[in-house]
Amino acid sequence: MRNAMSNRRDDAILISPGLLLLGLGFLVPAATILVLGVQNPEGGFTLGHLARFLGDPHYLAIAWRTIKLSLLITLICALAGFPLAYVMARASARLRLWLIICITLPLMTSVVVRTFGWMVLLGRGGLVPDALYALGFVRRNFTLMHTETAIVVGMAQVLFPFMVLSILGVIMKIDPRIEEACRVMGCSLLQTVRRVVLPWSLPGVIAGSLLVFTLSCSYFVTPALLGGARLPVVAGSIYETATKTLDWPFAAAQSIILLVGVMLLLIPYVRLSRRKHG
Amino acid sequence: MNARKLISALVCAATLTLPLSAAQAQQQTLVVNSWGGAYEKLHRKLVFEPFEKANNVKIQVVTLYSADTLAQLRAQKTAPQYDVVHFSGGQEVVAAREGLLAPIKPEELKHAADLYPFAAAGLARGEGPAHLVTAMGLLYNEKKVPRAPSAWKDLWSKDYGDHLVLIDLSNSYGMLGFLMMNQVWGGSLDDTAPGLKKVGELLDRAVVISSTPEVQQNFAQNDAWIAPFSQDYGHIIRQGGQPVKFVAGQEGTPAIYFTANLVANRPNQELAKKLIDFELSPDVQAEFAREMRYSPTNRKTVLDAAVAAEVVSGDAVASLVRFDPIKLESIRLDLIEKWKKLIAR
Repeated sequence: MRNAMSNRRDDAILISPGLLLLGLGFLVPAATILVLGVQNPEGGFTLGHLARFLGDPHYLAIAWRTIKLSLLITLICALAGFPLAYVMARASARLRLWLIICITLPLMTSVVVRTFGWMVLLGRGGLVPDALYALGFVRRNFTLMHTETAIVVGMAQVLFPFMVLSILGVIMKIDPRIEEACRVMGCSLLQTVRRVVLPWSLPGVIAGSLLVFTLSCSYFVTPALLGGARLPVVAGSIYETATKTLDWPFAAAQSIILLVGVMLLLIPYVRLSRRKHG
Repeated sequence: MNARKLISALVCAATLTLPLSAAQAQQQTLVVNSWGGAYEKLHRKLVFEPFEKANNVKIQVVTLYSADTLAQLRAQKTAPQYDVVHFSGGQEVVAAREGLLAPIKPEELKHAADLYPFAAAGLARGEGPAHLVTAMGLLYNEKKVPRAPSAWKDLWSKDYGDHLVLIDLSNSYGMLGFLMMNQVWGGSLDDTAPGLKKVGELLDRAVVISSTPEVQQNFAQNDAWIAPFSQDYGHIIRQGGQPVKFVAGQEGTPAIYFTANLVANRPNQELAKKLIDFELSPDVQAEFAREMRYSPTNRKTVLDAAVAAEVVSGDAVASLVRFDPIKLESIRLDLIEKWKKLIAR
């Protein structure tokens, strides 16, 4: 009995720094912001800020662009990430280590720096437009900067490691003997992947997609730099509203919409993954 | 045992920090803002560093644009953290009205009597003096353009193809440029529709950028030919090796006043006033003119002939266009939102 009590006390002591950090560093400021979004200047409750967003085609278009691009980025990351993660999981430990280093190395560099790299590559006279011009696809002075393509390319590169590492962790846990059995029974490699590896690794794909989707909904540096002022996304709009026009209640209302929107989209995903986990 | 180790470590740390804090207590600190980039570098070199040396004071510089500085001042109203704040977008008018600034009497500044009247006019309203002025006009690449522009309306000329750069209105230079374009097409602060309509016609041929350094980047890498922007950065871009020239538009030249303001309810106001006074001194202003082509506001400032030819100086500064900051502040948010809706694809 005494032992259980002291254990519980030890537990409490152990989790208190984490809880304190979570409370002071996240819950309190986040709650303050959310309250700000539904408060009128007199301190009462209002849905006016939310209605201003939802009733304006301009802001709805921004929201739609955010969802559309995030879905596209998630899809690209999943399509490119799954084969890579599979190869990494089945490669020798040494090769896997090198591949993991290659995948995570970009994470060690600031996103802003990497985005500047893309600006050089995609801008007028940059490597990509030059190559396209040389191949005769575009006219001179063609630029990919300030296009949705640039946002998708830049974001997919930034978020790719999250997808690969999530899938890798799950595939690593699949017993290779199941695949061997499958091959012995006459499946081709592709059939094995489709019938065995893919269904078993779905939790990893789902977790990776969740991560990539939510991150791309809330990124603003890359879209702001590659997309420019004329292609706003919700996170960028929140940033602008909070820091440039200093309209904090409206910025808070947009944050609420982003949060609720992401959560609404996530519920089916979470349900799906729960079913897969059994 | 462990407790003893901890205590000895604490004592050790305390002895290490003691002499430091004693030294800090002797030296006073002023907290100021500057705006980053090439300007802040110069600001530090010409004002903060010499002032620190001459007065045995530590100046803590926070990099913060004018609008953000005003927001911080408002948030810190009960416990202000800045001693001197610099504004370039007319925010001093608003800040003074809201009681965020402490008035300075002309006799408290050695150089106040030497200022041009426009630069000292704010003192009577409780604002700080203007220490520098820069002008808004057109920057163009002299090697690329088929003909040099001379008027704001030239921005609409097909001669410049799709090599236009427009600046977002969240930037105070961008705002000023827009207000001038609006005025040229018959608009005013009460009616921004003509400007929005006419600038809307340019969007298909223009790159819209939102920060000052991007102007230089667009001239350097993006084949930009023409942009409505300021004289100071025109000079910086030219110094950077681009064949970029500044020209004042025929229809008028909006002025950007840089003001140095005393924050209310701070302890070191005497020292802060001394810093503001230092920014008004002719020598400092002559250096600002030489290095970045700022127009001096102290009439005793002597400029080299070469510099004088490239800055709007003397009483001519007073003839520059200035939009009413209070009226502007009242329409700013609404105008920025309309602009955002206009430019969004």
